[in-house]
Amino acid sequence: MGDFSSALFALLIFPGFGFLCACALAFQWIDRWVTARLQGRIGPPWFQPLADFVKLMAKEDVLPIGAHEQACAALPMVSLAAVLTAALYVPVGGLATSAFEGDLIVVLFLLSIPALAYFLAGWLSVSVFSVVGGSRALLQYFAYEVPFLMAFAGPAMLSGSWSISRIATQQSQAVGMVLVQPVGFLLAFVGLIGKLKRSPFDIPKAKSEIGAGPLTEFSGRKLALWHLSLHIKTVVGIFLLVDVFLSGSFTGLAVPTALAFGVKVLFTLLALSVAGVLYARLRIDQLASLGWKVLAPLALAQMLAVIWIGAG
Amino acid sequence: MNIELMLESLRETSPTEALEPQAVPIDETFVTLPPDCIHAAVQVLVECFDLRHLSAITGEDTGDEIVLLYHFWDRHGLTLRTPLPRQNARITTLTDLIPGAAFYEREVSEMLGVAFDGHPNPRTLVLPDDWAGEPPLLRPEKRQ
Amino acid sequence: MSRITIPIGPQHPALKEPLSFLLTVEGERIVESALRIGYVHRGLERIFQNRSYVQNVHVVERICGICSHAHTTTYCQGVEALLGLHIPPRALYLRTLLCELERIHSHLLWLGVLAEHVGFTTIFMYAWRDREIVLDIMEKLSGGRVAHAVNVIGGVRIDVDQEQVRLILARLDELERQIESFLGVIQHERTFRARTRAVGYLSIEQVRSHCVVGPVARASGVDIDLRRDAPYAAYGQLDFRVITAEEGDVWARTMVRALETIESVCMCRQLLAGLPDGPLAVRAPRRVPPSEAVSRCEAPRGELIYYIRSDGSDRPARVKVRTPTLTTLATLPDQLRGVNTADVPTVLSGVDLCIACADR
Repeated sequence: MGDFSSALFALLIFPGFGFLCACALAFQWIDRWVTARLQGRIGPPWFQPLADFVKLMAKEDVLPIGAHEQACAALPMVSLAAVLTAALYVPVGGLATSAFEGDLIVVLFLLSIPALAYFLAGWLSVSVFSVVGGSRALLQYFAYEVPFLMAFAGPAMLSGSWSISRIATQQSQAVGMVLVQPVGFLLAFVGLIGKLKRSPFDIPKAKSEIGAGPLTEFSGRKLALWHLSLHIKTVVGIFLLVDVFLSGSFTGLAVPTALAFGVKVLFTLLALSVAGVLYARLRIDQLASLGWKVLAPLALAQMLAVIWIGAG
Repeated sequence: MNIELMLESLRETSPTEALEPQAVPIDETFVTLPPDCIHAAVQVLVECFDLRHLSAITGEDTGDEIVLLYHFWDRHGLTLRTPLPRQNARITTLTDLIPGAAFYEREVSEMLGVAFDGHPNPRTLVLPDDWAGEPPLLRPEKRQ
Repeated sequence: MSRITIPIGPQHPALKEPLSFLLTVEGERIVESALRIGYVHRGLERIFQNRSYVQNVHVVERICGICSHAHTTTYCQGVEALLGLHIPPRALYLRTLLCELERIHSHLLWLGVLAEHVGFTTIFMYAWRDREIVLDIMEKLSGGRVAHAVNVIGGVRIDVDQEQVRLILARLDELERQIESFLGVIQHERTFRARTRAVGYLSIEQVRSHCVVGPVARASGVDIDLRRDAPYAAYGQLDFRVITAEEGDVWARTMVRALETIESVCMCRQLLAGLPDGPLAVRAPRRVPPSEAVSRCEAPRGELIYYIRSDGSDRPARVKVRTPTLTTLATLPDQLRGVNTADVPTVLSGVDLCIACADR
């Protein structure tokens, strides 16, 4: 009974659904506030993300004629389910709901599902803007996913384990992965920007060109769930990066693990916000070119370096 | 931009006309030509003097006739004025010499009912596609 | 690959004003485009004939929101030429000052819009924040941020005192610093250059054959500027450069407009420093003797031309307006051919369209 209730607590409250939603809202606020301040604006009040969510849940939910009703209703839930499941295996401050050897690969796979659901959403909602946005999302996926995956192979090979929790704790005995594989960290960071479709890789939802891209025809509750799944994906992605590259909650100093983890997470979030502010949006062909001509070769070189160093 | 030289060349294209220049504010010279001489005159201006900047084509219904003004500019202004009869107003298009005249001619055509022979795309410019009324700038008292 | 037709407009996130494009797209490239304007045609040339010269000053100001002062300047200049009025120098200086401030405002607004369309929201926010400086100056001078109602037939209706001049000069310094920082970004920021170089190219031959005017023409190497070539108002007394570029793409147009903005700031300083004393306007009779006049002005987007014919009454017989945007619209199908769909907003922003002007 005790096991069951503690498992329920972990799934629903901490570090599960409740905690992730709270983090999603909090991270969104921090991101919007920092972006606003960097752009010379004031930024939203702290409750803005919550207010946006509540407002969207209450709005009318319509789809165009010809759009696949059931599929469009299911896709945001599939996306949300995938990121929540991925979150189970990503340790927060040293605590993971579950862990097993190979969970890194499962997590990376689960985090790709929302991208495919995003493309399908565009395809199935029929309007021109959605279809074009969906095809761009898929092209973008191929551009960043390969370097992103390869970047994670390095830490796994170096620490001799494919479990995120093990990789995180390994770094407490050795040294943070970011110091050993800075290129890998950079690639994972850039790949995360593409995965989260943040500026400068927010091509599928380029406002000035194709409305809101694949989600143009979504409204009300469906859109609220899409946004929630994207923001929880942001949270999970940042946690993953901190665990795998920035040695999780370990600092070698006498600080509480929660604080150490929190500071690293905040640092990564701020880095994402700053990166979003500094550049113009790339075109899809420029991104594809960047992905395959620069990022993928770098990732390959990084992996080979790890293998060579590991062998020697 | 040498107005005198231009006028000399223009006189050669239409020897029956006196082509007296008229000074008009602000820094503009007006010359009146018959409608069938306009294309040849503009050809001279474009080919011999490289005067290709057509600022605008004004059309006006003065009550007795429709007057077309072709406003050229190259540090000074030169306007070619030509009167057209109100009934069946037609003139050759300039788009073969100056492609930029296309929009100007379309507008004169829809506003005053003037036909530009040889225009590549004689659709309405600012009026709706299904405009069924009279050309808007024709004077109402003389409309038949 | 199959062709799809994408409609851009009349309502679209990339357009500030209604304009309709039907783009035929193959993959991600545009094959052909069809343009339709006239959604905000208000029949103004007919309206002018039914109003007096004085009433028309107010109508003319409302042809466009962002080049309103250029329109009233050209119109008032034309009517003053018909009446043979000699405008006092102080009025000419103040008129020119507003012209240049309006040019700065137009270019800053445009820069923000272009940045937003290439996804560079940061520059959009900065440009529009600094646009507030110009708007504050114009409000201080005329009481209105966008519609100034400064020109009257015979001169201007506003004046400045020494205190205001001092304040305006201080704010102009602030503005110049900000614009220099934008210039740095435009010249060196790699993603901005990647999005704007070689996009929307017009050769000098295309520009000349379509009679294009303004910064678009100057960015393709055509060296025309009415302020230097046919000086009006107080431009004959000012010392300034005409900015041209050779590349003919959106990036070149950005550079031309950004450098023009800095030149305008210098011109404003010269005007304020050399402001002559004297009256602000001369009396203009209500009836205009039969005559005709052609008046030109360098609006922010290029050559603005008015033809006015008077018939002896207090109403004009004909007012013809040709706005600079009309010339650039004709080049859009050429610019869009072969362009990536992602670059369509960039191309449309690059020419700085003012559809209200074009439609009238």
